[in-house]
Formats: sequence, C-alpha cells, structure tokens
Amino acid sequence: MMREVAWRLFASEFNDASLEVTGGGTERAPSYVVTPLGARVNRVFVVGVITDVENVGTDMQPMWRARVADPTGTFHVYAGQYQPEAAASLSKLKPPLFGAVVGKSRVYTPDSGTVYTSIRPETIKAVDESVRDYWILEACRSLRKRLDAVAEAQRMDPVTKEGLLKVGVKEAIAEGIVQAVQHYGKVDLSRYLAMLADGLRYLLPEYREILPGGPAPPVSSPEPEPKGSEPDADEEAVLGIIGSLDKDGRGAAWEGILEAAASQGVSKDRLEESINRLLDKGLVYEPILGRMKKI
Amino acid sequence: MKEELAPHVNDITRALGNKVSEQEIERELSSYLNVYRVSLDTAKRSIVKKHGGNPASLAVGVSRTLRELIPGEQSVNLLARIVSVNEKDVTPEGQGTKRILYGILGDPSATVPFTAWEPLSAPLARGDVVRVQNAYTKEYRGQVQVNFGIRTVVSKEASDALPEYKPGPGSGAPYAGKPTPVRVVDLREGASNVAVTARILSVERREVEVEGTPKTVFSGVLADETGKSQFSAWKDFDLKEDEVLRIEGAYVKAWRGIPQISFDERATITRLQADVLPPADRLAASPRMWIEDLAERGGGVDVTARGILIDLREGSGLVYRCPECRRVLRKGACRVHGEVKGEPDLRVKAVLDDGSGALTAVFDRELTEALLDKTLDTCIAAAKEAMSTDVVRDELSDLLVAQPVEARGNVTSDDYGLMMIVESAKLLKVDVQAEAREMLEGLEASE
Repeated sequence: MMREVAWRLFASEFNDASLEVTGGGTERAPSYVVTPLGARVNRVFVVGVITDVENVGTDMQPMWRARVADPTGTFHVYAGQYQPEAAASLSKLKPPLFGAVVGKSRVYTPDSGTVYTSIRPETIKAVDESVRDYWILEACRSLRKRLDAVAEAQRMDPVTKEGLLKVGVKEAIAEGIVQAVQHYGKVDLSRYLAMLADGLRYLLPEYREILPGGPAPPVSSPEPEPKGSEPDADEEAVLGIIGSLDKDGRGAAWEGILEAAASQGVSKDRLEESINRLLDKGLVYEPILGRMKKI
Repeated sequence: MKEELAPHVNDITRALGNKVSEQEIERELSSYLNVYRVSLDTAKRSIVKKHGGNPASLAVGVSRTLRELIPGEQSVNLLARIVSVNEKDVTPEGQGTKRILYGILGDPSATVPFTAWEPLSAPLARGDVVRVQNAYTKEYRGQVQVNFGIRTVVSKEASDALPEYKPGPGSGAPYAGKPTPVRVVDLREGASNVAVTARILSVERREVEVEGTPKTVFSGVLADETGKSQFSAWKDFDLKEDEVLRIEGAYVKAWRGIPQISFDERATITRLQADVLPPADRLAASPRMWIEDLAERGGGVDVTARGILIDLREGSGLVYRCPECRRVLRKGACRVHGEVKGEPDLRVKAVLDDGSGALTAVFDRELTEALLDKTLDTCIAAAKEAMSTDVVRDELSDLLVAQPVEARGNVTSDDYGLMMIVESAKLLKVDVQAEAREMLEGLEASE
C-alpha cells in the first residue's frame, strides 16, 4: 500500500470542503476530504502559527485542541487518547509559536448542511519562521496547480478524468476534480486566485506595510473587514446569545444560536461572520465541534 | 482483441469492487498492453494495485511463466521443471527443527529459486515436471523466490508437458514485429521488444553462474536525456564507454522495482554519431523527479527528489546490528540469530514527502554523522549518559523533521512503497521571496 501523500493546502480551501469520499475497494479503504478545487486529502502537512492550545476534554480523558493559523484562515487540530504522542507534544506547547503538523483530514457533520473539517495529528513540531515561509510557498504552488487544472475543467463539458488526463492534468488531481465538479458545481475561481495572490504577497516585505494589522496580518477574508478588538453590534448580540444559551457550562449548541440569532434579526451569514470574528478575537471558542462558549 | 480481453476487464472491475468503470479499465488495460507492452498478468495486477485493490483477489487466471513472476504474489499457479532440489534442516525461532526442500524451478522463460516449507505428498527429483498451485512469491536478495506453504499443492505431470529448460538468456522465442521506441524514463517492467537510443556511461565484464553454467554478462549504466538505467548485455557486443547506441529488441526486467534493460543475441545494436545525445557528463547528472512519477515507474537509478522530511521512522538514530547478518536488533535480539552482542551504527529512516508522493529515505552512518555533525562515538557516549538511545533520535528529529531537503540516490520499491538509499543529501535553502515574487509576477501577467 502506497503511503498517502501529505497535501500542502491553505486552511481556507480545506475549510471550504464539504465532501468526504472513501477509496473503496478494500475493507480499510482510506477516506478523503475533497476540496472545491479537487484536492483529495487524506493526509495534510501544515505549518502555521499555533495560536492556542487547550484541553477541551476532561482531566481523565484529555482532548487537546489547537488552532493553527495560516495567511488565509485557521486549521483545527484535535488530539486525544488515540494520538498519545501528538497529544503529549500539544500539551507542552506554549503558544503562540510556529508549528508544523502532519495529520489526517477529518470531517464532522453535526447536522445536515453543516460540515466542519479538522486534522487528527500524527506529529507536531515547533519550527522556525523560515519553515513556515517555505510552507506557504509550497501551498501556493500546490494551489496554483489545482487552479490551472480546474480552469481547464471549466472549459470542458462534461468534465471527465480522461479529458483532464489528455490536457496534461496529473491523475492524482484529475480524479478529485471530477468528484469536486459533481459535488460543488462550478466553483468561483476568483476567490482562490485572490487567495493565491494573498499567500504570495504575505511572503514579500514590499506588501507588508499596506496590509492592516502589522507584520504578520491575516489576509484574504472575502470582504476585508476592519478588525477592531471591540465587538460590534452583531457580535455583542451573538455574545449575549451564546452566554444565555450556555446553561450547563458545556457551551451553546449551534442550532440554538442560529434560532436565537434569527429571532433577533441576525441572518445566518452575518451570524457566521460574527462568530468567525469572535473566534479570531479570542472572545469565544468551540469546546467541542458544534458548540460555542464564551471565554 | 477486445473480446479476448473482456473476461479480464471484468475480472479487474470485480476485484476493485466495481468502483471503477469497465470503460476506464478497458482503456487502461489497453494502454498497458499496447503502449507499455507489459504482459497481461502484470497489466492486470498493476491496474488493481493502482486503484488501491488487492491483486490477490483477481480470479481469472493467466498462464504464468516464471519470468513474469514478481515478489509478493499470494497465489500463483505454475507449470515448471525441477532444475535442482536439495534438503536442509532449519530451526525457525520458537519452533522445532524441520526439514525443508530448496532448489531451482525452470520453464522456457526463466529459472527461479524455490523453497518448500512443508512436507510434500511425493518426493521431488531433478527433471520432474510439476504443476504447482497456490504457491506464493517473495523477494530474496533482489530476486523473485517461489515458496510452497501449507496451502500449496504440488502434483507431478508427464515429463513432456514442458519443453526441456535450456539455460541462459536468449533462449526465449525471437521477437515478432517492430520494436517499440521507448525513452529511458518510460521503461516499464515486463516490456519486451523495445528500442532505446542511449549513451553507455559505464560497462564492465562480469563472469556469473547461471544454473551451474558459467556465463559472461556485460553490465553497466546507460542514459538518455530522460534518465539512467542499469543494463545487462548477455552477448558480447563489444560495448565501449561513451558510445551512443540504438538497441533494438531489448526487454525490461525489474530489480527491486527499478526497471532495467536487458538484451541478448535477439537484439540489434546500431552505433550512432556521438552528438545524437548530450555528452556523458550531462547525461550522468541526477535527474530531479517528482515522487509520484517514481511511484508510477517503480523506482529509478540515481535520481534526485526534493521534499520535506515529515516523519522519522522507527529504528532511526543509534541502532545496534547483528554481527552475523547486519539486521537491526530489537530489544537486544536479532530476528534470525537471537540474542547477540550488537554492533553500534547510526542511521536515519525518514519519510520524504514532496507533495506529490512520499518515500522512505534511508541515510547511512556517514550521512547521519554529517547531518548531526557528531561521530558515532559521541552519540554512544551521549546515549550512555542519558541511559537511553532516544537522545540521538530526538536530536535527529529536532534537526530534520519539517525541514526541506534535497536527496539523491537509487529509489527501489516493494509492497511497502518506495525507498531511497540516499547517496548524498543537503538541507535546502530556498530563496522564498524570489520564488514568491516570480510566481506573483506570472500570476499578474496572466490576468
């Protein structure tokens, strides 16, 4: 059995994924998370800033959760009793720091329509900035390859693996693209082109001054928002909802938050954006997937 | 052609649990057979493997010749002649002494060693023709070996069921049809009657023994712009270093997965102008390859891969080897020779991943010492002080994991994937800004 390759891809593309497929054939067939650009991800290699690590389990059964930020978004890394080495390394880390993570892709679907991607780590290691910068370059190269291939695919009707192979797309990507097209339909490439350009600019000092937020700013939210540390009106409302729904200290369930927000006139889109900003600001966190808790 | 292949297409589709369409299998099978010209059986197994299935679940048998066998087959059926047979007593670990048979099997295509691990229903004698069902194959010292186990059935056939084996290569039937031109990088195991245009980089004459008959083989390395390959010439073509040849009617065997070219008196050699190919020093350079391409080929001679060392494997760092067989000891004991006084050694087994694929890279003592900038003796002293060899492993892990490296060496393959025996390696220092700027400019230009 060939070892699964470790994909280099940005958090934003990984978190956009909502399709999981299994390799089929044998009993212990591997499963893959297929991204909108057709990356078929079983294993990932990620280098970013580990912004926080916490035990979201119990003292008896710890479950360590780390957030790893790259220029486009955040990876969620969970290590429990079945990943003893990774859990031990995570528990010792003192964020923030540059960290490299090799792990398996996971998806979690608490209800229909909501899909969370995460990483179950195999190894975790503290690294220096140069390793992180090289990773961004590799992630850009990998993204570029997929963008080119998907652009080819969008000129085809119907999209077939054979057709893609004929125009020189590698087999490993071609299969994922066909699955991605079936699941996601026609993907808006401009968002990913912007992600690629942002990733590259992130590495270049000449672009650093013009970005808000200092030398290591997060970039590439679809509509850049000014990121003050004080919550805005939506965020205040959402914080209130989360606080009031969290009756047992285990966090507020997503469904409840969605319902309460709707009754206060906050749409699902605005709610999601608010929660993302609150997560970024460190005002709320997810003790387990699908539940939100105030810090 | 299509009708003949239908049962095999069906067989492959079924072995893959119907997850790949018949049309696609048919297309792939036809490509293996007509473009790469490998045997039907090799093609079927390769396709099943490629899609993540188990080749052992293929059911529609193909009559197998010994030359077609590859290591790691779980169930093979053969018709072969006993070229030689001997007895030997062995004592497997934890078991009593038992008597096994070993020897050579032959058919008109090749000879291979065999071992019978269980008593057979009837004695075997030199010259017997036997039908073997449910044997399995392994690799031993780079050669396929046939094993008879508990499930294997061996029955005798009339001695005219198989032609007498004539030793030596070149005894196969002459090729019919025009040879297929192939670039070195496109050589695939099992291909026959291929034509290659290449420069001889090295050649030496060796005397070998093939089934008790002394033979002369001229072996070395040849290359074209796409890569290098080992070759074996079983006839004296008076090959000279640095000359450019067109070799027509060669065949491709694999050594540990690496395709290598062989030719004999069936081949035609044409000497070409020296400037048909770049000079030897350029061809001798190690080509940089993506690991996915190495995986598809089965390996490569003197190739360079760039990637990240994403994990250290078990058995990296300070290890102790068996003085008899050089195997690495586990808990002070050798798998074959039991408890022995181990000899210290340093090595690294790491996963090198370039984003397209992964291989296991093995660094020997000299390379490991250079990476650590420490000698074996210093490491032994450090391990003594810490009372654990883990300190060496941890230091290597700190140094290497997550680092981009460039490694050069031979890449072989087996059931567990690709392995590079690293000849030279360096940590990569990449000018990230320059590359990012170039890529960004390319991006902006195309908008």
